[in-house]
Amino acid sequence: MSSASVPVARELVRRKPPASVRRRRFLLGVANHSLLIVTAALFIAPFVFIALTALMTNDQALSSHLWPHPFRWQNFIDVFHRSPLWRWTLNTLIYSGLATLGLLISSIPVAYALSRMRWRGRNAVFMVVLIALMLPPQVSVIPLYVMWAKLNLVGTLWPLIIPNWLGDAFSIFLLRQFMLTIPQEYLDAARVDGCGEFRILTTVVLRLAKPGIAAVALFSILYTFNDFFLPLLYTIDAPNKWVVSIGLEQFRSLHQVQWNLTMAATLLVMAPVIVLFFLAQKAFVEGVTLTGVKG
Amino acid sequence: MKRVAIGLALTLVLCAAAAGAVAKTNALAGTSSAKATTLTVWVGWSQRELKEFKKITSEYDAKHSDVNIKVVGGINDDKIIAAIRSGKGPDVVSSFTSANVGNYCSSGGWIDLSPLMKKDHVSANLFPKTSQYYTQYKGKRCALPFLADVYGLYYNKTLFRKAGIKSPPKTISELTKDAKKLTQRKGGTIKVAGYDPFFGQYSGNAPDMTTYAPLYGAKWTDSGGNSALSKDPQWSKFLRWEKGLVDWYGYDNLVRFKGGLADEFSSSNGFEIGKLAMMMDGEWRVAFIHAEHPNLNYGTAPMPVDDAHPELYGAGYVNGTIIGIPKGVKHKDQAWALVKYLTTNSHPLAKFSNGIRNVPTTKASLNSHEIKPDAHFKTFLKIFANPHSATSPITAVGNAYGTLVQAFAVKWQAGHVKTLSDGLKKLDKDIDNQLKQAGKGVP
Amino acid sequence: MSLTPVAETGAATTVAPVTDRRRARRRAAWRRRRFVLLLMSPWIIGFSVFFGYPLVFTAYLSFTHYDLLSPPRWIGIANYQYLFHQDPQVWGAVKNTLWIIAIAVPLQVLSAFGIALMVARARRGIGMFRTVFYLPALAPPVAATLGFVYLLNPATGPVNVVLRHLGLNGPLWFQSPGWSKPSLVLLGIWGVGNVMIIFLAAILDVPKHLYESAELDGAGPLQQLRWVTIPTISPVILFSIVIGVIAGLQYFTQAYVAADIASGQASQAGDQTVNNYGYPEGSTLFYPVLLYEQGFRHFNMGYASALAMLLLGVAFAVTLFIIVNSRKWVHYATPEG
Repeated sequence: MSSASVPVARELVRRKPPASVRRRRFLLGVANHSLLIVTAALFIAPFVFIALTALMTNDQALSSHLWPHPFRWQNFIDVFHRSPLWRWTLNTLIYSGLATLGLLISSIPVAYALSRMRWRGRNAVFMVVLIALMLPPQVSVIPLYVMWAKLNLVGTLWPLIIPNWLGDAFSIFLLRQFMLTIPQEYLDAARVDGCGEFRILTTVVLRLAKPGIAAVALFSILYTFNDFFLPLLYTIDAPNKWVVSIGLEQFRSLHQVQWNLTMAATLLVMAPVIVLFFLAQKAFVEGVTLTGVKG
Repeated sequence: MKRVAIGLALTLVLCAAAAGAVAKTNALAGTSSAKATTLTVWVGWSQRELKEFKKITSEYDAKHSDVNIKVVGGINDDKIIAAIRSGKGPDVVSSFTSANVGNYCSSGGWIDLSPLMKKDHVSANLFPKTSQYYTQYKGKRCALPFLADVYGLYYNKTLFRKAGIKSPPKTISELTKDAKKLTQRKGGTIKVAGYDPFFGQYSGNAPDMTTYAPLYGAKWTDSGGNSALSKDPQWSKFLRWEKGLVDWYGYDNLVRFKGGLADEFSSSNGFEIGKLAMMMDGEWRVAFIHAEHPNLNYGTAPMPVDDAHPELYGAGYVNGTIIGIPKGVKHKDQAWALVKYLTTNSHPLAKFSNGIRNVPTTKASLNSHEIKPDAHFKTFLKIFANPHSATSPITAVGNAYGTLVQAFAVKWQAGHVKTLSDGLKKLDKDIDNQLKQAGKGVP
Repeated sequence: MSLTPVAETGAATTVAPVTDRRRARRRAAWRRRRFVLLLMSPWIIGFSVFFGYPLVFTAYLSFTHYDLLSPPRWIGIANYQYLFHQDPQVWGAVKNTLWIIAIAVPLQVLSAFGIALMVARARRGIGMFRTVFYLPALAPPVAATLGFVYLLNPATGPVNVVLRHLGLNGPLWFQSPGWSKPSLVLLGIWGVGNVMIIFLAAILDVPKHLYESAELDGAGPLQQLRWVTIPTISPVILFSIVIGVIAGLQYFTQAYVAADIASGQASQAGDQTVNNYGYPEGSTLFYPVLLYEQGFRHFNMGYASALAMLLLGVAFAVTLFIIVNSRKWVHYATPEG
């Protein structure tokens, strides 16, 4: 259909649309832009208010004043004095780092096996991976807790880290989708060159799948940073192992709700991720798009 | 495919077997050792109150060279259970939630202390009756009381004078009258609340509705041992009064007021900064005010009681800190020695009581001359000794029924319960079901 | 391919190479299978230990009374009887979870789609707008929830203060059982940035010629949206609905934190000796929160396992439904990879 009408369409497109249409398009554009600005302002507003509260004194934070009088930059330092934010951050880094490392090491081979190797039962296993992905973690949490308790590891970060060293369904899924796009020619060329299967994986596939791996790593870091449920289960009774998410939630009860300090702590917790975003914007956006397009 | 399936099945079977083997492992029984052992003590106190506790334990430490006491504060009941379960429990543990003793005793989480008490000739009658009650379940004594909590009325004398009120209210109707007189509003917003009856406001460490039970003489259970909230008319009388006062303030207004109040245990506590003219609170508040607002002109008195039962005046709600030895303890004898010292020796009881202004829990320590007199605190000692003072029932589910009760109370005050009697009947049924589910009945 | 070996004996020169080739191929296939097993081994172990075993054991525990201090005691179907007939909280929790799925997911998908449409149409500053809408999605859930509870404080929170200046009496937000879930939905909408980006990429990817042909056929902007945009990006729409539903079935953190903070009770040990789950009045008691409360607060592990089995059943049914019907609903422009 299209090929037949292309010459006609091209002619029509070249002609300028009538003034009424142009005016309508312009008005729509203006309306769109203004709506966009209003919505964007609404989305930024919470950050602004949180920041303003973070700079108030405690009594001001409990009053209806919106603007700090004076600006108490001291609050950010107070947060560090009143709470072991450094330790929480260290714990979070340990959790994030070790989990992401293990996740990559264990998931890449699995994704490769599921995408580029042919074997019986491959599709069935992939279906199982998909199903595991969709089921809520709460269904498996009780026996796992009992198991970790008997192994004496409750109150440490190991119950959070170790599962990631044995494959993660979401990463496997994403990496597999990505590896499917690697042209077979590269792999065949490597095989012809006499590369063993293992070397193909480590040299060719790893290099070609780098954007996918970067996306998966980024997601893992984000997920572990934001994780609340698992740390709540396993480390709530061991304050020296708290991660940032638990620490922030407990912050208010540790030091008798001071909203100004709590908001300052909230900002401090939001900051690293936002900074990371600005540094790795491209990877972020590509990664997120990847999930949606390949999902 | 087949090979993968067999591999999977094998791994599953192996894991199941391993899990079964692990589950059968028992915790080591406690044994005593002779060298200088480290005793770990877990308590719920933190900050200032924790410091006071550490003073007591360092005294014991100095006198006993064979033990070294390590104190961990800020512990709550989940941490206790988690630790006992994983076998990494402390040697001595204490909890603010005396209602959970039913849980600890029936499950064996805290060991039975009766054989140890018999060996050392420690009689349960050293302790007041109420404290005896909330440290055992169905005859099994797995805890001892370690300072008690008593609830009474705090009132702001300055605001009283301004409103022309001469003395604290003794009956509920007087309380209502005074509360209305003392309330200051600006437009629709409450600036100062005379008495805030809102469930969920400040609550110390007990669900609010239960703290009013002794003031009305309301009974929790009937003769059959079933929940009696719908059968004893005193509960409905109390709830209707509470809602009446909430509606007078305006439910929404009270919610907004609550949102603008600082945290209960902060130095900007609503009563301490004059936003609440009267408040029901525990005896510990005396120490907090002394430390944070020593110039506050206030008084303490027993809570007002039901007009129809003036003989109840002087009573109050009682619960307390309980202390015990968890299952799987490694140094049982030393742990018991410490527990015995803390709970029966008048010296640490009196000293600690002075420090955190909690009520001492032996008849001897109540009369100890070491207790530093304090007019505000004396009120609570009197309430504790009053025969009508009572605590909440100890059940096998521990404090879980308190959850149901408070959920109902909160719904009631918001006006979301259609008929009070029907609502209470359902609450009774739910509580009975919950207890049956636990495998045991209401004690 | 393998080389034909030189026959040792004179006879059967044609048979030997064939069997050798077959043997060599079988050996290669066996080596390859072993390699696959090696590659898959972490997942096999992980799946068995962290997925298979827990599922089986949860099923077992659901027929027991287990409080973690003494071994599990078999009680048959008593837990299920309590669940279906006597638990006063469970059906409220089910309703809450269904509510959040039925209301929050469509609203979030619509917001993400709407915002993506607007951003796609903007002439200038697409990058900047994209950043602005994505940033809130980056905020850690605990931090975002804390912020929102504070912002929506009925008396002194900025939102109600602003509303008051405008002459409106703001609702009680997280303090009102009727408004607490909508407040959570608002929080969710604030964080649609990551879905929005996916929508944006998909919208920008729609081939222009489709729009041109539609315009030729006389379609206005609304009709273009209905007949060109939406069908073309339908895989993304389905994807966002699916992850929305999955997230809804697991919804825990925001509800837990919001109830805890909004109820504003802090005892000294920083613990809740009074119940805060579902504050206010059980309106934020979602199914996963109830499961946590029963299993890890009241230590009714047997009963919590029964709750988990019910959740598993529902999640499995939903998953199956999605997988079976996904092809029907989605309009793929190119065959699946």
